[in-house]
Amino acid sequence: MAEVSRRKSRRDLNVSHHLEVNNLVKMFGGLIATNEMSFQVDEGESLGLIGPNGAGKTTIFSLIMGELRQTSGSITCFDSEISHLQTHERIQRGISRTYQVPRPFADMNVLENIRVGLMPDNIWQMIMRRPDPEREIELAQSVGFAENDFLRHPSELSIGDLRKLELARTLATDPSLMLLDEVFAGLTVAEIAQMAELINQKREAGMTMIIVSHDLKSLEPLIDRAIAMNYGAIVAEGSFADVMADEQVRATYLGDE
Amino acid sequence: MTGISWRHVALWAVFIIFMLLLPEMVSKGTLRTVIFANFLAIFAISWDVISGRTGYISFGHPFLIGIGAYTTAILSYRFGMPVGLSIPLAVCVTMVAGTLFFLPALRVKGSYFALVTLAFMELMYQLVQVIRPDLTGGTRGMSGVTTLARGAVNNYYLSFGLMIVIAVSMWVLMKTRFGTALSAIGMNEESVRGSGLSTTRLKLFAFMVSAMVAGLGGAFYVHYLGSIAPRALFDINFVFTIIVAVLIGGASTIVGPMLGAFFLTFLLEYLRPYLPGAERYFIYGSIALVIYMYQPKGLYEIVMQQWRKYRVVKAGET
Repeated sequence: MAEVSRRKSRRDLNVSHHLEVNNLVKMFGGLIATNEMSFQVDEGESLGLIGPNGAGKTTIFSLIMGELRQTSGSITCFDSEISHLQTHERIQRGISRTYQVPRPFADMNVLENIRVGLMPDNIWQMIMRRPDPEREIELAQSVGFAENDFLRHPSELSIGDLRKLELARTLATDPSLMLLDEVFAGLTVAEIAQMAELINQKREAGMTMIIVSHDLKSLEPLIDRAIAMNYGAIVAEGSFADVMADEQVRATYLGDE
Repeated sequence: MTGISWRHVALWAVFIIFMLLLPEMVSKGTLRTVIFANFLAIFAISWDVISGRTGYISFGHPFLIGIGAYTTAILSYRFGMPVGLSIPLAVCVTMVAGTLFFLPALRVKGSYFALVTLAFMELMYQLVQVIRPDLTGGTRGMSGVTTLARGAVNNYYLSFGLMIVIAVSMWVLMKTRFGTALSAIGMNEESVRGSGLSTTRLKLFAFMVSAMVAGLGGAFYVHYLGSIAPRALFDINFVFTIIVAVLIGGASTIVGPMLGAFFLTFLLEYLRPYLPGAERYFIYGSIALVIYMYQPKGLYEIVMQQWRKYRVVKAGET
């Protein structure tokens, strides 16, 4: 573990982590999807989560978001336990995720999709206050939508655009920690470059991130640290180069040569 | 989901003026049919608020309508309470009872929600006959309940006034972001939650709005009929009429359920001389099916399509 230095110094200073997962276990019946996972992400850090299909990466995201409830273990955000909170309450704490398969609102155009993300969780304000089209447009443009895309419906968008839309809706909830699930899947080379630039912008702005991707080449420059997992447990942890050098990772993830 | 423009206001105004002039143009018999269409439209709008938008299909709307109807009927008929007080009370009772009973139903999804609501309707049907028949009138119901207006014309104005107030206020409400959020639930509930919104609270609020409209409609309906009979009210055909009205009119709109209600009422009425029995329902079922297969978004969308086509042609001419 080479990248330990910065983390260690922070831990010694007793600075709380942005997100800390402790002994997290999730069982689906007899199947162990998450097996005693423990890791931390510091504020402003970008963590890459890699592993073969079915390793349990998405399950971790669902547990952090509260879409699934853990069997045991704890999840804390700046030292406060969030396990008991519902998904929308966690989002209000600044944690947000994107999905492997984008889930847009099919009968709404791009701006209306973003509008839902911008809504306050307060019915009275929802009714009394008008939507903010300027902010909607700003968000749409920030992820790279052109003006003639604004009124398009999801059925008219490419997978790359759908990922952008999902990102825009996620950003609309004003997160400080983003969980990005397979952001590069199905994208063209140009779109990958665009998405990577977008992620880098957010990183520079101080956003904490956990990124899941199979596209290791694109992932590498976007992360400070990597965790490789398999069968719901951590196999290796450290800098990207160290993790990739790990024999177990090479065996399980990349296959023997 | 877009804003309200002057064109919307103008269209509503034209419709209201037309409806206000209607008693001058048609016979009293037709007027009575329109009264039923008005009430069906109210029930259809109520159903659409929760089911048409969020996709949680309710088979239990007669339960809500029934609570509204029974509450005001019992209060005014048995206890001599003035109607001006019993109707607002009935609406409150519908909202409270509806919320309490449907709270567990909100936790289940899809067809289970439909089944739970259906069970409530059946439960209500059984209960009104057993519990305090001295109040509810048991199987025979009640007759001689105070009526609010005399004659077809007055009753027409009353039912239309109620319907249009409900329709316009629901239309405005659904134009807000609240309406957008409800439609979003119907498209993808997970993503709404993933946008940081409490879908349970949204659904509950939508349900209370729906219950309010159903209670209001039910209360006025019983004071129009002057009688109440459990067999006619808690009838699965009644539920289906409401649902079919929304579906062929166009779910997730306000004009759609109104359109559907009028279409359906008049269809049944004009078929009556030829098919006096239950065969009518066969015809209306087929027509509903054909419309639904041709355009799942209903009559509203068909009209809108024609309108858009017309505008394109017009734009091409000039």
